[in-house]
Order: sequence, then structure tokens, then C-alpha cells
Amino acid sequence: MSKTLSLLTASVLLFVGASGIAQAQNLRIRPLKTIYVDAKGSAMRIPQGVTYDGVSQLVVSDTGNRRLLVFSLTDDAAVPTFEMRLREVTYPTRVKFEPSGTILVLDGKSHRIARVTTGGEFQGYVELASDGGQDPVIKSFDVDSEGNLWVLDVANGRIVVVGPDGDSSRTIATPAEARFLSDLTVSSSGAVFVVDSVGRRVFVARKGDPAASALGDGLEEDVEFPTCIVVDSASGVLFIADQYGGGIVVLGQDGSFHGRQSSMGWKKGYLRYPSDLSAAGGYLFVADRENNRVQWFEVVQ
Amino acid sequence: MSTRLQVALLIVIAAAFATAAAAEDPFRLKPGAKGKLCLECHLTVQEEMEMPFVHTPVAAGECSDCHNPHASSHGQLLATDIGGICMTCHEDLVAEDTVSAHQAVVEGNCVTCHSPHASANENGLAEAGNALCLSCHEDLAAKLASNRFDHSPVEDSCLSCHDPHGSSKAEFLLTKEMGELCGDCHDTGQASFVDRHMGYSVAGSRCSSCHDPHGSDTSGIMLAQVHKPLTNKMCNQCHLDPTAPNALELKAKGMDLCRTCHMEVINETMSRDRIHWPLADEAACLNCHSPHASDEGALLLASTKPLCGSCHPDTIARQEASLSKHAPIDEGNCSACHAPHASDNTFLMQTADVNDACGSCHDWEGHSTHPIGTEVVDQRNMNLSVDCLSCHRSHGSPYKAFSNYDPSGDLCVECHQQIYR
Repeated sequence: MSKTLSLLTASVLLFVGASGIAQAQNLRIRPLKTIYVDAKGSAMRIPQGVTYDGVSQLVVSDTGNRRLLVFSLTDDAAVPTFEMRLREVTYPTRVKFEPSGTILVLDGKSHRIARVTTGGEFQGYVELASDGGQDPVIKSFDVDSEGNLWVLDVANGRIVVVGPDGDSSRTIATPAEARFLSDLTVSSSGAVFVVDSVGRRVFVARKGDPAASALGDGLEEDVEFPTCIVVDSASGVLFIADQYGGGIVVLGQDGSFHGRQSSMGWKKGYLRYPSDLSAAGGYLFVADRENNRVQWFEVVQ
Repeated sequence: MSTRLQVALLIVIAAAFATAAAAEDPFRLKPGAKGKLCLECHLTVQEEMEMPFVHTPVAAGECSDCHNPHASSHGQLLATDIGGICMTCHEDLVAEDTVSAHQAVVEGNCVTCHSPHASANENGLAEAGNALCLSCHEDLAAKLASNRFDHSPVEDSCLSCHDPHGSSKAEFLLTKEMGELCGDCHDTGQASFVDRHMGYSVAGSRCSSCHDPHGSDTSGIMLAQVHKPLTNKMCNQCHLDPTAPNALELKAKGMDLCRTCHMEVINETMSRDRIHWPLADEAACLNCHSPHASDEGALLLASTKPLCGSCHPDTIARQEASLSKHAPIDEGNCSACHAPHASDNTFLMQTADVNDACGSCHDWEGHSTHPIGTEVVDQRNMNLSVDCLSCHRSHGSPYKAFSNYDPSGDLCVECHQQIYR
């Protein structure tokens, strides 16, 4: 009896696993809305960062206008609610929510991360020790569900994990074979994925790994110059923005290739030099930089 | 032994001999006809056989080792393609763990260097000595002819340093790692050698970061452009003192080291909104510039097109595949449009306005009457105005004049859908 039960369980698990893979392979993104302007109707200019809290708030780094824009999301619209111009952040690029609801924004000019409230109050910079190396130069960062900050410091070839208390808890060496790392993302299981723009590949450090190693065989055939990576908390897949190729590549967390979405263009649903991605709640938001807009996609299985 | 058994044994032996004979002579030539038969018609080969060095199969009259006497899908009635035919006997020519291989070998163009039948030169080489190598490496030939200071091993033979087929030890077909190779002739422990290198132990270093192994116009066969501290014999501006245990270690890391002298350039760079990211990583300026010497201006590691293309191969490939060519890219003049260090504009453009950038070479106001400029809204995207990139992709496209879409239809219809029929 127990043998039969074990066989049944194994079969069910196999079926579930296979279904999951099939779903990921059938995953598509469908354009829903395009966000062009702030509350006063002023156009965005080269937006380079976007983040969605998975519930109702969307923040855009409107980089060319040197400001952050906050939007409230309803079922069918993104309503601009607030504009932040920060003296301390003159060139906002990457932007993320912390679990507490505060916003972290990377200044592309000073290469420092600032913490601000949704009301626009500057709360200070995230301090990163140089550990005897050069002054840190932050290229990108991500925040996990426990509030740990994962920082990509290109000047010292490392990923630093900073806890919610502000102390560095872990340092991961970036791989020697990496050509130039542009972005990272952290999964719910604590794996960090890093994208190499020049080497056209992804590296991964799973929980407890001291260093990152190559994920899969590389993306030379699938991308031109990938600059952004994000793990979709809903489907578990990785979305990678191919900036020069104008598209989004979908990978499994095991490195399996699940397709390429969108292409270079000006019309709704098309992309020109996508610069940042945010995926949560069944949606994917793309900072469509050279189209001066943010595109809102639905992730469809 | 019974008669039946003996007959059976004889049949087996005869069959074995017949198989062996067929394998040896698949074309079943008449006795004594091997080679000789071919030479009755191919008189030039007969003349070649008078030369001092004859290819072994030719001398043995085994023409059919390489040629099929009846028919072939390959030129010269070769049994397989020309590279493959040589490799049937010379299969160990390039080691499996090769670090660098000669392009002619990789492409199977053995006859570029070797005469397949016979030659006046050893190893069947088409020409003797360096003349053979220089017949392809023409730039090097010109350089060797004009050098003021020669490197004597080059005069002796290219094979002093290079393996003509491939090397499992080093790049550029070098027979050994560069430091070790140079050390075979240059005693790095000799007082005069140490003295000329300012007291630093450079054994095992990459000598070609300062010296041109093929000779140069500068004493010490230095590369054409030399970093000023090196010219001034001030190595310790960047490296630790020569008496230090790790003397070649740098005094500072990344951009901080270069900043000590090039403060103005770096401050200007860092004052911009966008930097060229390699500047910020661990190698920093050395991603593109040599710290010692170079044959390129601004001590660049290579000429601009391959240098930029080493990180942006997609951009170069787009241009290569493009129907129309954009002259600055073809000429490797990337900085005609892009600032190499930093800029306030995306793509590190030299100018903020795309139309201004294109207009610096193209009289676009004269080439079309299409409305263009900041006042003209792009029909496809309310946040964009019509500029040159609305219709053209500057690095190339599959269409004429690097149009984004087919100019005979899709390009116009992208915006003017009302005229589509």
C-alpha cells in the first residue's frame, strides 16, 4: 500500500513539475497600458528606473527630468499622485521599495543609494564600507523580502549584502570570467542572479555560495546587450532586458531559455533601449528609456 | 587435415590477401602502374619531382592517396577538401589544447605555405625563410623595411619565436609564454638589464606592453607612444619602490591611481551625468589604455574599432551586416558621435540633440522635405519628436540608408497608416 502511495506521490510531483515548466515555456507578456506623463501632463524623459510594490504603488525614476514620480495603480489606470525632486539625488536611476514601504533610489551620478519616504523626505544614504579597496561604485541593487539590500559594487568586484540594521552581513565575489556586470536580482529563496552585459550571460550565487558561477550556457544567440534582470515573484522566471536588441528574454531560474518577448519599435508594446524592469503581482513594468515612457504588461501563462 | 578443411583454409587466406590488396590499391591499377601512369599525362608533376624536396606520397607514386583518379566533388580531383586531405596524415599538427592557431591551418589552407607535390625548400614550403610569412603579413613587411631599430631574431627567422601551425603555450603562436621566451635571450638578472629597467624585476612580465618585438623607430625597440612616467624613468610614480618585496604592485587601485596625474580629465568625467562604465570597475582606465606604451594614440590598447568592438560586438556586427555603411563606424571613428569617457547624454553622445549630431556631417535640411525637429510630434509616440533616428538606425539596418523599416513601404506606413492601401 505504502509503495503504491509513494509511486502515486512521485507521479503527481512529476506532473506538477512538468506543468510548471510547460507554463513557464508558454509565458507571454501582453501590453496593457503605457504611462507617458505626470499629473500636470508633462512628459517623462529617459526614465531609467521603475518599481512596483505588487499592490498599488508604482515609482518611476524620470531620470531626464531628475525626479521620481509616484503612481497609484487601479485596475485599468496608473494615476500620477506625487512628484519628488531631491537635492540629494540629482540623477535618479534604479529604484526599489523596501518591505517597510520606504523607497531606495540610486543616484547614477554619485553612485550612492538614497533612502526616501513615499512623501519625498530624504532619510540619508546607504553607507557601504570600502573594505580596503576603492571607494564603492554602485551599479545596481535589489532588496529581498526580509529587507536585506544586495548591492553590486563594480569598483571592487563584489556583491555586498547589507542587513536592515545597516551592517554588511555577507560579501559575494563576482566571477573572474565576468566581462561587465550591470544588474542583479534576488529570488525568494535567496539566490542572487547577476547579468553580464558584455559577456552576455547570467551568473548565480545560491544561498550560502561564497561566489557566483555561470548559469546555463550563455545568451550569445539570444541577446545583444543585456543590462537589466529581474525575478518575477509570481511566476518565478527571470526577465532580462536586452537593451540594444530591444526585447525581453525569459529564463528559468535553472538557466533554461523560455523565449523572447517584444521587439524594437516606437508603438505600444514595442521597446527602445529598455533600462529597468519590475515584476510583481502578475505584471511587468518596463522603463522604456528611449521611448520616454513606462510600459505596463500583463504576464500571461 | 582433411581435403575440405585445406580448401576452406586456402579460400580464407586468399580472401584475406584480396581484401588487403584492395585496401592498398582501391583502384586496382595495373602492376607497376602506380604514379607512373599519372605522370604519363601530368608532365609538370614529373618536372616537380626533380626538385630537392618531394612530398613522400608523391615520391612513392601514391597519387591516389590524395586524388581520386575518376571523379571527385573537390577541386583537383582531391579525395576530400584540401585541408582535410592533409589532416589524414598530419592529424597531430595542432594540439587539442592549443592556445593559438595559425588562421591558414584553422581554415585548412595548407597550400598557402606548402607546395603539395614538391618544393625547392625544406618541408615543402612555397618560399624560404621570412619571405613566406611576409607574403601574407604585408603590414609587418612594410614595418620591418622601415624600422630604425631591428630585433635581430626577426631577421634570423620568424620561427625564432613563433610556431607556424599553432601553440599550446601562448598567444600569437609564440612557442613559450612571452616572459619566458624573451628570457631565453635576455638575461633578466644581468646588472645592465636590471639597471635599464630602473631596478625592477621584470622577469616573466609581458615585454610587449613596452617593446615592439618586431622592431621600432625608437631606441630599445619601444612602442611608438610611451607613457610619460616611463619616458622619465619614473616607474615609482605608479609602482611601489623597486626595493619593496612586491615592487610591481600599484600604489593605488583603479581610477584612483590615474587620478594622481590625470585629475582634470577624471574630475571632468565624474562631473557628467553618465560615465562609460568600464571606467568605474577594478581595471578602470586600463580597460582601454595601456599604462606603459602603445602604437596607438592616447596609449589605446588597440585601434578604436576593435577596441570598442571588444565590448560592443553587436554594434560592429550590425554595421558589418548593414546594407548601407555609416562612414564613422567603418573608419573606427566612434568618437565622432560618442564621448569615450562620459557625457550628459544617453549613449554617451557628444551632443544632446540627435539632429545636431547627424547635422555635423549630413546636410539633413537639404536631403528631405519631411518635417523634422522638436516641434514635430512622432505619430507613434506622443513623448517623442521626429528626429533622424525616427527613420534611420545609425549603426546599420538591413535596409538602404540604414532605414529602420523597408523604405518602399513599411517605413512610411509606420506613421502614415491612413495612406496604406
